[in-house]
Amino acid sequence: MGFLNNTTVTVDAILTKKGRELLAQGTSAFNITKFALADDEVDYRLFDTSHPNGSDYYGAVIESMPLLEAFPDENHVMRYKLVTLPKNTQKMPILSVSPNQGIVFETSTGLGANPETVGGTTSNATDTSYTFILKDQTVASMTVAVAAGSPGTGATTPFFLGDDDAPNSLTLVAKSVTISVIAVSARKSTTLIVVGNNTGATASITIENKVTNNSLAAGNQNTSN
Amino acid sequence: MAIFKSFNIVDAQSPQSSDVVSNVKDIVSSGMWANGAASLAAFYTSSAQSSSNGDYYLDVYDKDPQSDNTAAVQFSVAYGHFNGSGSLGKVGVAGNRASAAIYRQLTNTLLGPNVSQFTFAGSGNNVTPKYVYAISIARQQLREKMDPGNWELHLSGSSSSIKLIDDSGATTNPQVNQGGRVFNVVSGSIASGIAVLEDGVTATNQPGGAYGLFYPDLGIIVLNGPVVDVSGSIGAVTTTNTLGGNVDKFYALISGSATPTGTTDGAGGKFFKARREEVITSQHYFCRIPNKEFNFSANPTFVTGSQGNFQVASFFKNPKTFITQVGLYNSANELLAIAKLSKPLLKSYSREAIIKVKLDF
Repeated sequence: MGFLNNTTVTVDAILTKKGRELLAQGTSAFNITKFALADDEVDYRLFDTSHPNGSDYYGAVIESMPLLEAFPDENHVMRYKLVTLPKNTQKMPILSVSPNQGIVFETSTGLGANPETVGGTTSNATDTSYTFILKDQTVASMTVAVAAGSPGTGATTPFFLGDDDAPNSLTLVAKSVTISVIAVSARKSTTLIVVGNNTGATASITIENKVTNNSLAAGNQNTSN
Repeated sequence: MAIFKSFNIVDAQSPQSSDVVSNVKDIVSSGMWANGAASLAAFYTSSAQSSSNGDYYLDVYDKDPQSDNTAAVQFSVAYGHFNGSGSLGKVGVAGNRASAAIYRQLTNTLLGPNVSQFTFAGSGNNVTPKYVYAISIARQQLREKMDPGNWELHLSGSSSSIKLIDDSGATTNPQVNQGGRVFNVVSGSIASGIAVLEDGVTATNQPGGAYGLFYPDLGIIVLNGPVVDVSGSIGAVTTTNTLGGNVDKFYALISGSATPTGTTDGAGGKFFKARREEVITSQHYFCRIPNKEFNFSANPTFVTGSQGNFQVASFFKNPKTFITQVGLYNSANELLAIAKLSKPLLKSYSREAIIKVKLDF
């Protein structure tokens, strides 16, 4: 005779930085209405279907692993969400980003480089909008190209708090965004992460900017000579 | 297809059960002193402070602040005189009148608008004394309030010593005034687990006046100056326009430095036991996860290749996920709170779960 497994798990939550900010604005601003689940630390390649002890133990490695404590920074938690899909789903939603090879702003084009429109396409499912997270906005500028259609569809990845917390990040919710070149002090690259707002599917591309202040100054000197 | 699930929020008065339970209050008590310790047995002051504002009050540390940078102020001691005696200055004479400032500060904070002097229980000459000693608990140690009936302070002078507690155990209906609840300070001990009065003497029957007043909601103990003087042989100087050093003398009673060597009566100062009390308001969120939901993952390792095929082939029609965290969102999809499980929780079409997320404020 053993103890029955209790089906209710109790966990203590901590406020995120955004949560603290809204709580400071008053109780009406802090209004939790829904929840989501995630499995950030799980690597499903550890699910061992050849476990000698049988199918009950396929997930033993994952189930036994200790987990890290929660981070209060929204950008490092809830990255890979659990999704509700029909049982007979054969393939998971896959998000592909266009242009998929990334964006490079070359010295030769300078500040005259054409802006690039970045959009997402979800196969095996549909996303009505995407969240675009430019990790370092000092590398390039990002603006909405095609706005998210249906109101109420917000960011699956939360907004950044402000300049003090994440001075280089920028988050937009849209169907597509425009990435434009800006002058940088030195060659820099960053990552643009795209998240499907309905499926949670993620993809990323690299943005590299070679248009430095020095290269622009050199270009101007050549022109004047 | 969904990645969010809305809470079923029902009005608190409704008989229906709700996923969100608000305003759950828990009273948490713990040791008052540094690192949650219940009692202090060593006391220190800062030489830097005693030379600057030591005429007003002295901060008392748990460790020597001169040599240990982890020392933290635990409480402060002060001496107040209605007319300012025992400190420099008087009306028309230069001087800060520190003891008058302290006394008026205490009366203005703890007594009603038209009451200018402390009145203690009991009878005799010292029911309304001219001077008092005060102990004020540091804010970071007090947090919210002191736990009545759970503190004991030893004072030890050159010839005698006393153990002080409050009489909250014998008070069913405490007086509540400007300073919140008020209890009397009496001679006794809580060493046995309950408050035991010395010789059964209550505050009302204390000859010469009760030992003091205890304000748990503010973390302040006001002691009857003349009564404590007699018990502890402080030798307070209450002469007008004279620096009496009475704060130091009172501190010596607490720290045990006024106790003669060889004192073995067990109450040689150096003992302050206390608990604090805090009301934690929580909100409980019941995250109900039915069998048909949250069985797939956007985790990149859940799939293999570029077509979205499952990493584990047997996940077709029998997917399994592992929940490691629960995010609480507002209607704008902003993540306001995050909870982590202690270990991954298996979820599949044959399993359901309820995760209760507790958020303390």
